Amino acid sequence: MAKKLLMGNEAMAHAALEAGVRVVAGYPGTPSSEIVETVAKLRAAGIAHGVHVEWSTNEKVALELLFGASLAGARGLFTCKQMGLNVASDALMSLNYVSVRGGLVLVVADDPGPISSQTEQDTRRFAAFAKVPVLDPSTPEQAFRMIQAAFDLSERFHTPVIVRPTTRVDHASAFFEVADETFARPVPEEGFERDVSKWVIFPRRAYEAHGEINERLSQVADAFSSEEPFSSFNEVVEGPEGASDDPVFGIVASGISAAYVREALQMVEERAGRAHVKIPAYRFMQVGTPYPFPAQALSRFASGLSDILVIEELDYVLEDELAQLAGRTHASFNVHGKLTGEARDRGENDVDDVVLRIEKYLGLVGRLRLHLHEQDEDARTASISYEQASELPVRPPVLCPGCPHRGAFYAVKQALLKTPAVLCGDIGCYTLGNAQPLDAVDTCLCMGAGVTMAQGLSVVDPAKKAVAYIGDSTFFASGMTGLANAAYNGHDITVMVLDNATTAMTGSQPHPGTGYTLMGDQNEPLSIEAVLLANGFSHVYHANPLDKDASIVAVKAAIAYDGPSAVIFESPCIQLIKPDEPVSIDADVCTGCKKCITEIGCPGIGFDPLREGPRSGSRGQAFIDPALCNGCDLCVQVCPFKAITFPVPDAEFADLAEDEVFEVVEAEAEESLADAEFDETNEVEESYVDEASHDDGASADSYQGEEPDLSGFDETVGVYGLEDEELFLFDDGAGEADSAESDDDAEKAVAIEECATVALDPSELEEISAAKASEPDGPQSVDQEALTRRLVLTDELNIEEDLPEEGGQDA
Amino acid sequence: MLNVMLTGVGGQGTVLAAKVLAQAAQEKGWHVRTAETIGMAQRGGSVVSHVRMGNEGEEVQSPLIARGCADVIIAFEPAEGARMLPYLAPTGVLVTATTAVQPVTAALAKDSYRGSVVLQGLRDAFAQAPDQLVIVPDDELLERIGNRKVLNTVLLAKAIGTGRLPLDLDDLRSAIRACVKPAFVDLNLQAIG
Ligand code: SF4
Ligand code: SF4
Repeated sequence: MAKKLLMGNEAMAHAALEAGVRVVAGYPGTPSSEIVETVAKLRAAGIAHGVHVEWSTNEKVALELLFGASLAGARGLFTCKQMGLNVASDALMSLNYVSVRGGLVLVVADDPGPISSQTEQDTRRFAAFAKVPVLDPSTPEQAFRMIQAAFDLSERFHTPVIVRPTTRVDHASAFFEVADETFARPVPEEGFERDVSKWVIFPRRAYEAHGEINERLSQVADAFSSEEPFSSFNEVVEGPEGASDDPVFGIVASGISAAYVREALQMVEERAGRAHVKIPAYRFMQVGTPYPFPAQALSRFASGLSDILVIEELDYVLEDELAQLAGRTHASFNVHGKLTGEARDRGENDVDDVVLRIEKYLGLVGRLRLHLHEQDEDARTASISYEQASELPVRPPVLCPGCPHRGAFYAVKQALLKTPAVLCGDIGCYTLGNAQPLDAVDTCLCMGAGVTMAQGLSVVDPAKKAVAYIGDSTFFASGMTGLANAAYNGHDITVMVLDNATTAMTGSQPHPGTGYTLMGDQNEPLSIEAVLLANGFSHVYHANPLDKDASIVAVKAAIAYDGPSAVIFESPCIQLIKPDEPVSIDADVCTGCKKCITEIGCPGIGFDPLREGPRSGSRGQAFIDPALCNGCDLCVQVCPFKAITFPVPDAEFADLAEDEVFEVVEAEAEESLADAEFDETNEVEESYVDEASHDDGASADSYQGEEPDLSGFDETVGVYGLEDEELFLFDDGAGEADSAESDDDAEKAVAIEECATVALDPSELEEISAAKASEPDGPQSVDQEALTRRLVLTDELNIEEDLPEEGGQDA
Repeated sequence: MLNVMLTGVGGQGTVLAAKVLAQAAQEKGWHVRTAETIGMAQRGGSVVSHVRMGNEGEEVQSPLIARGCADVIIAFEPAEGARMLPYLAPTGVLVTATTAVQPVTAALAKDSYRGSVVLQGLRDAFAQAPDQLVIVPDDELLERIGNRKVLNTVLLAKAIGTGRLPLDLDDLRSAIRACVKPAFVDLNLQAIG
């Protein structure tokens, strides 16, 4: 037994392992992701024996898989965030009717606020709808005990059981004594036993099962009211200390709000003590088992009370139940809470708010403050306040410096320019593409909905190009059925697959496209391209999003196709790789035009209005924050004056032109590539270097049967599997026809427009257009060698040994 | 009860710093709760870690610090420190790094954000209580150490140096040994010096 600081999620993982869990499965989603990750870590460390753990392709898959395991008698743990349960709901509703054999516990993490989600749905409501018991922890310690209680409850009543922590329980830490080793409970020798009357759901069986469910729920409600350990989750305390009267004021709270109420009551009592104010007697209860509602325990609690204040987050679940209880038992207590405007109707609660609510409820408003004897301190606090608080920079989340998605969004915007389009986003880091200045996402709904919403838009608003973004993990989680629909129903959409080889937002989890599993196996990675082809997407292009020009060409070609088409942007998440050296801005060249900032908005680039240089006058200059820049080179390609440069490590580079530097770097890269011994488990290598694995069987062959109709499509545009098997295929000059913007005058106009905002003088304008004209190749004629060079450079990727430990976000 | 709030920009290392403090408190035998910002905000957004320690033997209830209750706020970035001032206790201390991290929103704006302006605002805010503001010239210090990754250790050492936490540098050293990956322990211990 060692004492360890564990987050609520880590604690729940330990608890499940100590309860002998045999199979753990889920899909990443903040705030739930660390549970599965912890199980995987403990398994890999040789601490957790006999457990199978996996990231399934989505929540529905995970829950169904666990139900199978349960039928053979194994204990199973499912994890997801609140919206993940929507995905798994089909399975949950029915499996509750079939009933479970081995204990089946679902941890569904709710996200009041919401901090990292699209909805503030309340899983306690979902549990009641699905007729499944739910436990609601208020601390990580309680979450630990609830997981163990949930397994026992599940097996005793043959019911799935939900444990519903919220973000402040999942991501709060405390010290725990945990077992040095855990062992999965062996599955009964006979394994799965055939019983058609039991395991096959039918209308007749469902009718019977519904009766069984009703019966067991009433038994569970009784257990919640009077049996350990459940009654300890519904603990009642009375206060204040030394109160002589019987209380008439009741307070009921759920989850983390119970911790807030406990603390708020302490604060109120302390203040009252200092002010010599007597506070009325109260009775407080945490309801840790909200469904089925422990009515007996609440009736006992309510006896003698005239009022009950309910403090809970998300929905007014306990408030409703108490009002019903009062009605059914003809009790005379009044219920106060969200519905009466006496508690926050949404978002998170906090101690500050709860203190005010309780002071008001107990009739103490104004009586405590007046008598605070730290009045001087109050005055002092007032003096320590930041005057211009409203002028502090807002700091919303943004794509990381060097994030490959930035290049993909920029390419889409540049390829479209003024072409009318709707850009349907999806769930993941790339939702952040909506932020200024990229401003490249028009919609976002739920997992996989970008691909499908685009189809609806293409039907009714065909004047706009329908473009959908989807990340690699989302692609496998819920993108594929939408792809099939596009091909089947003939929708003209273009799908931008943002393949960064990980589930980035939630903290870099592997997925089918990486082939790497939580059991430590490296299976054949699934090919996104093969899936696209198999689902009827005949026009599939590849691009490296950090290569601006090639990406623009690929997007243009895909959008030009009349029918389902796709661009696969391939470049690993910056969190997975060792970043390149930071670039730098040459103060002698920077004009202060801010284009690097207004075009791509990388956090690595700042602007200092006080910097001066020969060409920037008093406009200020951009600068690179070397602590943030990851050297992706995108801004280098965006700056119209070539003011941003690669690091030049040696003097020998000093006199070389950029292209020449490239050549030297290329040669070095090739050398080191030749030397490098790639590690088998290196996932980036697998998906990005060994392109052969993408090609095998997926390309030319699958094409033979149905040659796509290429009429109206320019032959010179490379189509995967038809022309060659290059990684990057592009238009070698054919795109000009559809882009009037490409001629010199238009470029000049754009340049003038761009610079108008910073008031350059006319001579500088000339310079800008000259600089533009002298760019070696416009987007319409891409130098193939440059592409190959960049490919070599991108291939020289090293996975950092330590992947980021902290979790990320959304699913 | 001792309340320490660590605030900064996603990716600056507040989470590890909070762990180290919690470990130090645990070694003293105190009850501890911490809370983290994990999720979208870690992508360059404002992040806050809360560390609450029952240094008088009391049990900690909420993992989050209430307004006006932080004994020490450790800011990894000056604007983030200014943002969290409402949480500072009347006698609390703000320990802040000087290096500003400019968000994209500010780079885009007409008036870019500069750390020196915020630092001046902080000095004004603490004009009546200058002993409650500790400005740490992190640039110079980290330059000397040669690695920006130890910003968290440097700030923790400075926070302990204020004397507001009943912990000393040896407590910090021992907690670092327990929490930090072996390969980085020496670097961090060096940073304390
Ligand atoms: S090279 Fe430019 S765009 Fe890329 S991370 Fe550095 S500053 Fe950002
Ligand atoms: S974590 Fe990866 S995918 Fe997400 S913003 Fe950062 S670089 Fe981009």
